[in-house]
Amino acid sequence: MRAKRSDYTHLMSLPALGLFCTFFIYPLVRGVGMSMTDWDGMGEATYVGLANFARFFQDPRAMGDIRTTLIFAVGSTLLLNFMGLIYALLMEKPFHGRSLARVIIYLPAIISPLIMGYIWYFLLQPGRGFLYHAMGFLGTTFPLGNWMSDYPTTMAVLIFVNVWQFAGMTMIIYLAGLKGIPVDLKEAAVIDGATSWQRFVRLTLPLLMPAIRINVVTNIIGSLSVFDVIMSLTEGGPGYATESLSIYILRMCYGSRTGYSTAVAMILFFIILLPVLISIRLTKVKE
Amino acid sequence: MKRALVFVLTLALCLTAWVGLAETKVSFFTGKIETIDLLNEIIEDFNATNPGIVVEQEYQNDASSIIKVKFASGEVPDVMTTYEQEFVDQGKYLDLSGMKEWWDRLIPSMWENCTDLKTGMQYRVCTNMTMAGFFYNKEIFAELGLTPAVTWEEFVVNLSTIKEKKPDVTPWFIFGKEAWHLGHLIEFIPHGYLKQTLGALECKKAMLVNDSAKLNLGAADGCMAVFAQNLLDLQAKGLINEDVLTATSDNCVQAFVTGKAAMFSNGMWALSGILEANPDMADKLGFAPYPAYMPGTKPVVLSAEDSGYAISATSKNINVAKAFLSYLFSAENQKKYSEALGSPSAFTDVNAAWAPEAFAEEVKATLGNAVNIGFTNEKPAGFSGDDAGRMVQDLLAGTYNAAGFAQAYERAWNEGF
Repeated sequence: MRAKRSDYTHLMSLPALGLFCTFFIYPLVRGVGMSMTDWDGMGEATYVGLANFARFFQDPRAMGDIRTTLIFAVGSTLLLNFMGLIYALLMEKPFHGRSLARVIIYLPAIISPLIMGYIWYFLLQPGRGFLYHAMGFLGTTFPLGNWMSDYPTTMAVLIFVNVWQFAGMTMIIYLAGLKGIPVDLKEAAVIDGATSWQRFVRLTLPLLMPAIRINVVTNIIGSLSVFDVIMSLTEGGPGYATESLSIYILRMCYGSRTGYSTAVAMILFFIILLPVLISIRLTKVKE
Repeated sequence: MKRALVFVLTLALCLTAWVGLAETKVSFFTGKIETIDLLNEIIEDFNATNPGIVVEQEYQNDASSIIKVKFASGEVPDVMTTYEQEFVDQGKYLDLSGMKEWWDRLIPSMWENCTDLKTGMQYRVCTNMTMAGFFYNKEIFAELGLTPAVTWEEFVVNLSTIKEKKPDVTPWFIFGKEAWHLGHLIEFIPHGYLKQTLGALECKKAMLVNDSAKLNLGAADGCMAVFAQNLLDLQAKGLINEDVLTATSDNCVQAFVTGKAAMFSNGMWALSGILEANPDMADKLGFAPYPAYMPGTKPVVLSAEDSGYAISATSKNINVAKAFLSYLFSAENQKKYSEALGSPSAFTDVNAAWAPEAFAEEVKATLGNAVNIGFTNEKPAGFSGDDAGRMVQDLLAGTYNAAGFAQAYERAWNEGF
């Protein structure tokens, strides 16, 4: 009887396994094969071995894109978690209008990043944007100047928009984590005479590790594969200064270098996988 | 009663299925947003007069990219407006050289533009001509006593005068957020110089085989370096808009139609947008060529083919596709098409009011007074016009000096091969 139930359970997993194989394993295997060809997307593909991978590491534009992607990912992940945690700690405490405040903080996350990018572009456009005119009206100058001409400012704008949009999402996960901390533990710490800082560092943070892990992993994945917000705000420019690897892959693919772009996609896969594995490992140890 | 009803319903179902099977469907793929409505009308008329044939239009904003996916997946449209040299080389298009009834009506220079350099065959029919140069505000020019520049020195004097006398007006508005626009500046100015000095055919050949001795793209005193230096000088003197890297084409049109920009570079495809934003501009619109910027040369203006139609070599409905194009190319339909597109027809028997009369006359005069150049279809496959435009963005952002830009351009060009 037991064996029958077990067989039945295995059968139930088949549809999910089928979908996983069709949409993940099969494309991955095909991708590996394709990445070792010079396929242009239409004609015959010729096997070129690891030439595409070697070419990637010799391309200054691609190296610049890796730098841009990593700066964006590190900046976004750190700030998203910092802001999300701050919001969560603030929103955990009861106050009048708390629900409304939570909704307002979360609201940008439900808007498409592409649209969000365009909205911010119209707000921040040098010389023409809403903020430029608003500040002129108030008698002050637009603090960002011609931000597209200055690489650090352009990157800061991109990271800011991303954080502004998704901080609400990390907040929700941290709020759920904070709810899961037993009240009696907090009370015991207070009775033991722990200060607010000690309670946060020694009690709240360790117990928030599962939430931190989820947030860090999802933020790393999202930030390293960033596309929409950069495309709408800067289109990767000026030049290729803010081009991310995802945009590079797309441009190579539509530039009749499908085999090469698949190789870059493989590299991006490992670039994402590595920090995700490290962060899972680190947060597990802390836990 | 029930049986009769079932019989009638079954019959209706069978008839519908039979009609569906008997229909010949022709897919028409386009990336031209400005002609969607008119083409839908023409297609509707064609479908109505040809029972059993259904032409269906599909529009895609990023048509040149989408068509690659369509070719790769085998879902190739029967008729398309997208045309790339690499597809010609791969035999994707039907040879239309035998369609005498079309070619006999076409302006000879347009027939030449439709001819593939490698094979000498025609794989597309271009129904219209397009021009690109400087759109300028005649009112501002008249007020300041300026005339369109012939040389680059005169051009700088014009821009300086505008800046001095009208500080609120941007002398030359460049919408550099859109890489294609900056790519077009390269296409029309330094590439224009090459086409002028080498000759159209020789230039095409030099580009096809990447004859670096003739193209001389990376020289410190070559066409690229001088172009880059000129642009940097204008930027340093404040003769172009400060927000050159973030301005969009919408910003440009708005600035131009409100008198806040005196001139900008673009093609005839911008005309309808200008007149839509401010119909009063019809009387103020001027058109000028790109001034000669290298010693011993003349101003240039783009005079190229537009609206090319090709048939897939693998289409199962070649005759129907040809019949549809014959209908579309009729003088009556082409008059409507030319007026909707805002560009002159390439057919000799079509007399269309494609632009305000005075403007159309000025365009005609400009074409007569400047060296006419075509688009570069022989660019390396791995170095697009957008790529070139992004290099100009870098130049304006301070990444390169003029000589460095020329060297980087030549390197990118060579790698593109």
